[in-house]
Amino acid sequence: MSGPVEGEAVASPAVPAQAPNDPTAPAKTDAKDAKPEGDGASKKMSGAELKKLKQAEKQAKRAQAKAVGPATVQQGGIPKENQKQKEQKQSQKKDESRPLPIRRRPSQSNAVPQQQARKESKRDQKQLGLFFGHLYSQPRQHSMVGASKDVHPAVLALGLQYSSYVICGSTARMVAMLLAFKAVIESYQTPVGTSLARHLTNHHLSPQIDYLRGCRPLSISMGNAIRWLKDLIIKIDPSTPEAEAKRDLVEEIDMFIRERVTAAQKLIRDQAATKILPGDVILTYASSSIVEQTILQAHKAGVPFTVIVVDSKPLFEGKTLARKLANQGINVRYYLITGASHAVKGASKVFLGAHAMMSNGRLYSRVGTALVSMLARSHSLPVIVLCESVKFTEKVALDSIVGNEVAPADEILSEAERASLLPLEPHLPTTHPSKNKNDDKSATEDTKSGPLDVLKWVEGSENLHHLQVLYDVTPAEYINMVITEYGSLPPSSVPVVHRLSTNT
Amino acid sequence: MSVHTPTAEKPLPDFDIVSTYRSILAGDTELTMPVAAIEALVEAIAHSSVSTVAETLALLEHHTAVLKASIANPISLSAGTDLFQRYLITTLNRPAALNLGPGDDFRAIRNHLLSNGRLFVERAKQSREKIASFGKHFIRDGATVLTNGGSRVVGALLRRAAESSTMRFRVVYVLSDSKSSDLKEGDQIVADLRAHNVPVATIPDSAVAYSLGEVDMVIVGAEGVVENGGIISRLGTYQMGLLAKSKGKPFYVVAESHKFVRLYPLSQFDLPIEQKVLEFRVADDTKGAASKASEDEGIADMNGTKAKCSGLNADDAVDFTPPDLISGIITESGVLTPSAVSEELIKIWF
Repeated sequence: MSGPVEGEAVASPAVPAQAPNDPTAPAKTDAKDAKPEGDGASKKMSGAELKKLKQAEKQAKRAQAKAVGPATVQQGGIPKENQKQKEQKQSQKKDESRPLPIRRRPSQSNAVPQQQARKESKRDQKQLGLFFGHLYSQPRQHSMVGASKDVHPAVLALGLQYSSYVICGSTARMVAMLLAFKAVIESYQTPVGTSLARHLTNHHLSPQIDYLRGCRPLSISMGNAIRWLKDLIIKIDPSTPEAEAKRDLVEEIDMFIRERVTAAQKLIRDQAATKILPGDVILTYASSSIVEQTILQAHKAGVPFTVIVVDSKPLFEGKTLARKLANQGINVRYYLITGASHAVKGASKVFLGAHAMMSNGRLYSRVGTALVSMLARSHSLPVIVLCESVKFTEKVALDSIVGNEVAPADEILSEAERASLLPLEPHLPTTHPSKNKNDDKSATEDTKSGPLDVLKWVEGSENLHHLQVLYDVTPAEYINMVITEYGSLPPSSVPVVHRLSTNT
Repeated sequence: MSVHTPTAEKPLPDFDIVSTYRSILAGDTELTMPVAAIEALVEAIAHSSVSTVAETLALLEHHTAVLKASIANPISLSAGTDLFQRYLITTLNRPAALNLGPGDDFRAIRNHLLSNGRLFVERAKQSREKIASFGKHFIRDGATVLTNGGSRVVGALLRRAAESSTMRFRVVYVLSDSKSSDLKEGDQIVADLRAHNVPVATIPDSAVAYSLGEVDMVIVGAEGVVENGGIISRLGTYQMGLLAKSKGKPFYVVAESHKFVRLYPLSQFDLPIEQKVLEFRVADDTKGAASKASEDEGIADMNGTKAKCSGLNADDAVDFTPPDLISGIITESGVLTPSAVSEELIKIWF
């Protein structure tokens, strides 16, 4: 796993050289770059100087974020910029044009038209404001380019795994993050003149978190874990020796994972497995590790039952689940969400995983979950949510619009689907910008347009937008039971347990 | 009601928990099952010579298991035993809370437990009166109340309401013609109410929907209140709930909070007891496959098989009324919405 990542880490310093279009830019970039490198080398500077440098870095980072995110227009509050930062911003933009070497998102073979896409999406996002525009305010980052130099290699690798969905799922992401933070803490050294409790959270952990957030918005569980960790660090007695403090932190993280995830999952699956009775047909949507564990546990206990997996594009998480279960000898039926109403007819219970449980008892989970639970409710099937209490949040959600995560729209269309759309090219409106562009460019490329052009059509289109939200909100009325490590609850008791689990 | 005393499986002391439980229950007609169970367990500890915390808990566990095994429907009973066990564990784990120094011996703790256990029983008895005083305000002047079964706490509530001179109300009482133990209690309540000048109509189960037009509210008792706020109650309560909901009549449950059970049924067939209600048969009286009907909405038809099966037959059977049919649960600690029950249970259990 770490192989390709390290390779990229090595590759990234070469980036400025690859921005050849503007001859002035590389020189300036180098000048700028020299400075941060100087910071890194001279750790023995005085505190005041360090502070100044930190500030400079912060500003640079802000500029970077702006360069990466075209949509920052919506964020308002544009900070004052001096000449230097503008230059850096420019050079950052150049970086973006570089072909990105490793991109494992399945739907994307090659990321050449990155810059164009960005230019166009800038225009796009202004139009998307109807319902989901606010969700685009945070730009997605799919590479390590532009990452702050403070970001730990383990975190860099993790970020790529997040954005490519290699590590997916609320709990898995949280655990992976905590493990990466362990590495961060272990290799951390408190700079002279500061204390661990103050420096680690604000100045060392924050860039890591910002980078991860750029790769993919933080999950609720990650937010909870980060809050817990920061709280823990802040409460460290300043007189504690650094080595001891670090060791304690690492131990605490291990304990947190053990108690809140490993043990919790065991309790949940033990309890949930008892709800699977002989002859049951368990329906589940997409893939949840805890549902998988529960089903396997019941299967190992010798209960005869079958499973229906309902799945949907673009991630097709259910495929893996169905395959795993079938390999264990469980009778599995696999439907796509389009066949959900049919699937529900044959089921007797619905088990769902969760991204988060909201304080109003609503379930925030993979998009499509609400549909499945509504169908189940209309067939009066019991809907059971399995959720560790670390995924409970004090937030409430009334709909899926206000808080959600948009994935890059190009993931909606798979390679094959794009290819099948290619013959439609002659029907593009003549005023279509991307068509014009193609015409302008050259006749050589015009004849042979690849599947990637399909995305450009959509992006360039005035009236057609791709929208891919990742989550939806299931009303509490559709949920019969939430199984947590504290026991079984009705969804209305989620805030009570959340209070309990955070206070004690 | 076959009493089989499992003397064989008793490695610990020679205390007959089951007969104690039965005699306590028989000795005081006002007593509910969970309270009787707690009283029996207190008695058991008093009779034993345990000297450590672990021993006490083991003894308790053993007696609880024996008691549960001897009763056909241990749901309501388990509410009491679980509660007592939980109480013991918390007090035994925190001896400091009892104002005992660390030097105090186990005997002091044990005495404290015993006295507190008795206190609990006393309090449980009083709670019925408290519920009655809360609940009577739910009955408005001129109202018609529909109720069923032989719940003593419902009886207490109605009596209390009848005693107040300012209220005139009528009662529709569902009395099944079965020979269940509830019947006697029900007859008693009806007679009492009539003596208090409250007009009472008694109807069979089949007339519930018919009478609902005349009814303003439904009040029922419960054997157990489960974690999601639903109730487990005498067979026929579920259909009353469904009908009341469909007619928009408020459906109130009166139950002491010691009836809160740590149980989460998802449907009628998800109860931890064996019920012989649905028994499919064909013409020649061979044993049809007594199966659990897989369709979820199958309301147990109690007129169908009211016959000679051992165990929990239709007369003593219970059903589960889901929380969305319940308007409120009147307990001695206040009137709760169904969703507040789980909160109360969490408070006890964590």
